[in-house]
This record gives sequence, structure tokens and C-alpha cells, in this order.
Amino acid sequence: MKERASGDQESGDKWEVQLRKGCLELAILAALWEGKLYGLEILRRLESDSDLIISEGTVYPLLSRLKALGLVRSEWVESDAGHPRKYYALTPAGKQRAREMAGIWTRFSGSMSRLLAPLAKGK
Amino acid sequence: MTMSPDSKKVEAYLARLRQRLRGLNDENVREIIDELRSHIADKAEGVDAALAGLGSPEELASQYMADDLLARAEVSRSPVRIVQSLFRWASLSVAGSLVFLSSILGYFLGIAFILVAALKPFHPQTAGLWIFPNGPGDHEISLRLGFVSSPADGRELLGWWIVPIGFAVGFWLIFLTTRSALWFARRYRKSRALPRG
Repeated sequence: MKERASGDQESGDKWEVQLRKGCLELAILAALWEGKLYGLEILRRLESDSDLIISEGTVYPLLSRLKALGLVRSEWVESDAGHPRKYYALTPAGKQRAREMAGIWTRFSGSMSRLLAPLAKGK
Repeated sequence: MTMSPDSKKVEAYLARLRQRLRGLNDENVREIIDELRSHIADKAEGVDAALAGLGSPEELASQYMADDLLARAEVSRSPVRIVQSLFRWASLSVAGSLVFLSSILGYFLGIAFILVAALKPFHPQTAGLWIFPNGPGDHEISLRLGFVSSPADGRELLGWWIVPIGFAVGFWLIFLTTRSALWFARRYRKSRALPRG
């Protein structure tokens, strides 16, 4: 019986990991919504505003893919730290994509919340 | 100019990464290296933590390659480009080389079917799908383009049906191979998307 319970726990964790991974692209586009940021700022933003814990080794290749797809553009800006930093900003296509994804997300999470409401009351 | 042990470590890491990114265009590679150098310099926790966060150069390069493959494929689904990217990915990881080898096999078979179908009108007697005995109790099935004469004891299986079937199976194989290569690349990228656990 105990084993069964720990197995369920494990598949629940896996599900959560999958769920978070699916949101990564939207999370990055959303982090850039208010203006340009460089890689480390995006990482910090994601860590503080969401509990998406992403490794650096994931974010940089993903940013480079978003750039290849034309959803973000980048520019080098000199900084006080003594080295230039690569800033990313949404392109019009990226804004469009972010808006679409956010719309889908909002509709979906709204209907899930309604569906899940009885579970929350039962607690 | 002497380098501190920390910057030596960083440069050694970046050199290994650069080597493994060979195949991406030079401009891209330069951007990646410069960006990571700047990231490491900004990381308050120090060089070791920064490098640990990025993962090994092999793993990181592998992610860049998989992402590059996916981005290219969204722009163009040409098998040639996909094979090119897969070839680079293959040199970086076991997953990449397995996907590369099976994709080569898939495209090769697909092209073979199409060629046989296309050559059938020119080699009506010899081109086609043949079966012939290959020792006692053993048969060999082969696609023959028909440039050389067929084994005397062989039998052609499809006749003129090889033309529609060959084209259909050939294009289907190429389509399927492209789809599965991209599916694997996507899965691979996702499996690396978060630190384990």
C-alpha cells in the first residue's frame, strides 16, 4: 500500500515537470513583454516571478532558437560592468505569438479552474 | 598578459564548446561564445557555479544543435538540411547519432523506392522488387534499379505495380523519417529542459 502511494507521488512529480516544460517558451516571451532583458535577467525574472526553475544551459539555446524563428531580436549593449551584454526584445511576430499563447493559456486555465473548484472546496 | 586561473577555466570551457558547435554558421558561434562569456562574468556566484549551471560543453552544444535543427525545420523541411543538422548533432550525443543513423536509413530506403519506380519504364525487365533464393530455405528480397541483369532464379514481385507503390512508399518513408527525426529532437530538447529531479 505504501509503495503504491510513493509511485503515485512520483508520477505526480513527473507530470508537474512536464507541465512546467511546456510553459517555458511562453514564460520567456512574457518575461520580455515589458522591454528588453539580457539572458541572466530573464533567468532571474523567471525565478522570482514564477517558480519555473530553469538551468542556464536551457535558456540560452532556447533564446537562440526563438531568435532564429524571428520571435525575438537581440542587440549588444555596453554595460557598467565593463563588458557588453546581449539584450533580447520581442519582435512584432514575437508579440503576436505571445498574445496568442497567453490567450490560449488564459482560456485553458480558466476552464480548468472551474472544473477543479469542487476539489478546492472539499479541502 | 597573464590570465587568472578563473579566466583560464572559462576560456578552456568556451574553446571546447566552440569546437563542438562547428557546423553552425560562424556568426552564430561567435554570438553564442560572446554571450556566454558575458553571462559567466555577470554571475555573482563565481565561475565554478556559472560553468556548473551551463552543464558540460558537450551537453550544451547538443542543446544548441537540437534547437537549431528545430528552428531550421520550422523554416524549411528539406531533408538535406535536416540531415546536415542531424549529422552535427550526431557527433555530440548518443541520442543524436541514433537519430542520425535511422534517418539516413529511412531517407535511403525512401529514395531507393522512388528510384526504382522512376527507372521501371526504362528497365521494364530488370527493375523492381525481386525475391531470389539465397541458400537453402533462405530468401533475399531486394530493390533492383535494373542496370544489371537479374539473377536467373529470381522472381519479380510487383511488376508494373512497383511504379505507384514505389512512389507512394518512397515519399511516405521520407515524410515519416522527417517527422520522426523532428519528434526525437523535440523530445530530446524537452528531456534536457530542466535540471533533473
